[in-house]
Amino acid sequence: MSSEPMDSNGIARRRSEKHAAFLAFAEALLRASRGEQDPTSMDTRQFVTFFVRDHEFGIPILQCREIIRVSTITRIPESPAHVRGVVNLRGRVLPVVDMRKQLGFEALQPTSKARLLVVEAAGRAFALLVDRISRILKLSSAEIALATGDAPSTLVGNSLLGTARIEDSAILLFDIEQTLGAASSAAASTPKE
Amino acid sequence: MDELFASLVKDFVDESKPIVQEISARVLELEGTWVAGGDGKALLRAIRGGLHTVKGNSAMMGLAPIERMAHALEDVCAHAGDLSPSQRSAEAQILLDGCDVLVGLIQSALGGDVDAHKADGFVERVRTLLEAPVSAFAQTEVRPVVANGSAVAAVDADETRGSARIEDRDVDELLELTGETIVGQTELLRLHNRLARGQFESGDVVLMDQVLTDLGRTARQMRHRLLRVRLAPIGTLFRRFGRYVRDLGRERGQSIELVIEGGETAVDRAIIGRLYEPLVHIVRNAVAHGIESAEERVARGKPAQAHIQLGARLREGRVQISVSDDGRGLDMKAIAAKAEAQGFDSASLGDRDMQRLIFQAGFSTATSVTNLAGRGVGLDVVASVVQSLGGGIDVDSTTGQGTVFTLDLPVTVSLQKALIFGVDSETFAVPAGFILDTMESREKDMQEINRVLLVSWRNDFVRAADAGRLLGCQGLAQAWTRPYAIVLQAGNKRGALLVDWLSGVQEIVVKPLDEILAGCRMIAGATVLGQGRVVPILDCIEVVRRANHTLAPERPAPLPAEENYHVF
Repeated sequence: MSSEPMDSNGIARRRSEKHAAFLAFAEALLRASRGEQDPTSMDTRQFVTFFVRDHEFGIPILQCREIIRVSTITRIPESPAHVRGVVNLRGRVLPVVDMRKQLGFEALQPTSKARLLVVEAAGRAFALLVDRISRILKLSSAEIALATGDAPSTLVGNSLLGTARIEDSAILLFDIEQTLGAASSAAASTPKE
Repeated sequence: MDELFASLVKDFVDESKPIVQEISARVLELEGTWVAGGDGKALLRAIRGGLHTVKGNSAMMGLAPIERMAHALEDVCAHAGDLSPSQRSAEAQILLDGCDVLVGLIQSALGGDVDAHKADGFVERVRTLLEAPVSAFAQTEVRPVVANGSAVAAVDADETRGSARIEDRDVDELLELTGETIVGQTELLRLHNRLARGQFESGDVVLMDQVLTDLGRTARQMRHRLLRVRLAPIGTLFRRFGRYVRDLGRERGQSIELVIEGGETAVDRAIIGRLYEPLVHIVRNAVAHGIESAEERVARGKPAQAHIQLGARLREGRVQISVSDDGRGLDMKAIAAKAEAQGFDSASLGDRDMQRLIFQAGFSTATSVTNLAGRGVGLDVVASVVQSLGGGIDVDSTTGQGTVFTLDLPVTVSLQKALIFGVDSETFAVPAGFILDTMESREKDMQEINRVLLVSWRNDFVRAADAGRLLGCQGLAQAWTRPYAIVLQAGNKRGALLVDWLSGVQEIVVKPLDEILAGCRMIAGATVLGQGRVVPILDCIEVVRRANHTLAPERPAPLPAEENYHVF
């Protein structure tokens, strides 16, 4: 794959930007996996942010494992509305949580920008279907405001870590373990029949 | 450092618990030998050896209370030289009680808090016993026997989960096989790089073929070796029942012997772990309903001592587990009466079919609720556990001679034979153990009465359901029937699924689904087929149940999708 020709500077530049972004993500992931936070400050946390419709959300980088393209999703009969099906990740079968549904929006056919964000929490792994991946954010605790009232209703209250204001937009930060824990216990207690 | 210590403690617990369980089994053997008039010297030696190991290991871990316990029990063994029969019985009892306490203490080491008082209390009891004049032995017998939940028997399946022991030889072979895959991958990469540059060479296809064949073989061998790691002898499970059966007998003031056959048969740990409950149930039933009192047995010309046999053997790639007793057999009169009451035509049923009715829900014939039986869990629960493991259960009883329960199970749950079928644009797998038959479903074999769809099968009719509607597929064609039917049997219920295509039966690796999908009752798991495609595996018990409650559309005119299936 590395042998593909680069036929214009534009493509080459876009590629190297992507490459740099990927490297930054890999590095951050590596540091996070070693339990290191940003060395410059004791008090910063890192978040992977993504878009669902035109809202930006962030989850702690420590809960993220990888980002993959959307492959064939197998439907599971009678799955809860927010679980789109399952995918195969190197022999592991992961449930795909449709973040649009999870956050109370209408489901949509994924576009080419859609990605599966593989998260792991409390020994369970999920693939979150998001509209697109945005960035890696380093936030100090001073930059994280406590939750406000404008959070989508399906985001269970205690899974919200807070909001961050970057430029003009508000980014909703939440703990995926809490969200999914609540979601799956709800699914187990009210099976669709 | 703390983590290291915790892992050492875990190793100690993993290693010591089986030893104590083994000791406990040996003590039971010893008791039997003593009753039969033997001196049991070899058994005593083995017991002391085991205790000595536990003592050494616990001393090394600084777990002094456990060390003191093991030491005291060793003293008991040393004392066992020449005792009278009643003293011996007391001695066996104190050894068994000691094993219970030991297992409890060892388990508590995991939490980091070993109860020294419990150990010292027991050591004190041993001291009094050993130092007291001989007559004191008789008194210890008065102490009530802790039956029906002795620690050794109650240690459930926990050591069948979690960690597995791997033979060095297996590790070496796996390493070697991993090396081979890397060699294969390097070779493929070399070929790929050449092809990417457009440099074809004659013989490349042959070479690639060779590499792929080698890789496939290596992968199969790796799987085979790893599966072997999952297997464990079923005897470890069977031996736990030695104590249980003995205690059940004592409760009734009767001697019952457990006979084990085929304990070396290797079975998936996951299956062994789930078999404990069903076997407890069957064994408890055998004692409560099957085995007569000693007087009754003698009056019928049977030996006073009753026997319960746990057996295992491999047959045609599956494992058969049997639980037999030499009691009075099933109460056929009570079963017939119950069958009549539930609306079965008992006269038309053969003896065996009548016996099999006991696996029906709500078919307990027990009239009295005792400690042994009547706990509200029926054999139907046992049957469904066995079936969920991909197996079946059967019973064969002869009045006056005893009852045999046979469990037919796969050797491993992670690998199953399954039929792959398709409906609309989706693909599913059905475990082969539930399939009675597959056939072409011709229009003339189908009947619809009040929207109940029936398919004729071997002079009988089976309730049928359209798989596409049942499983909620987004089908384009809403046909009234489909080209093929799969006839399923789950428990004593039958049901047929109408599908679009069938492919052969193949071996699949079963992968569990996350609990977020626990509400999907019709799906038991998933498997990954060629090209990485995920295929859901049907839970046949639920599918057959639904098939029997699903209404079909009226014959000619198809209905809109939503109204096509109703679930009660």
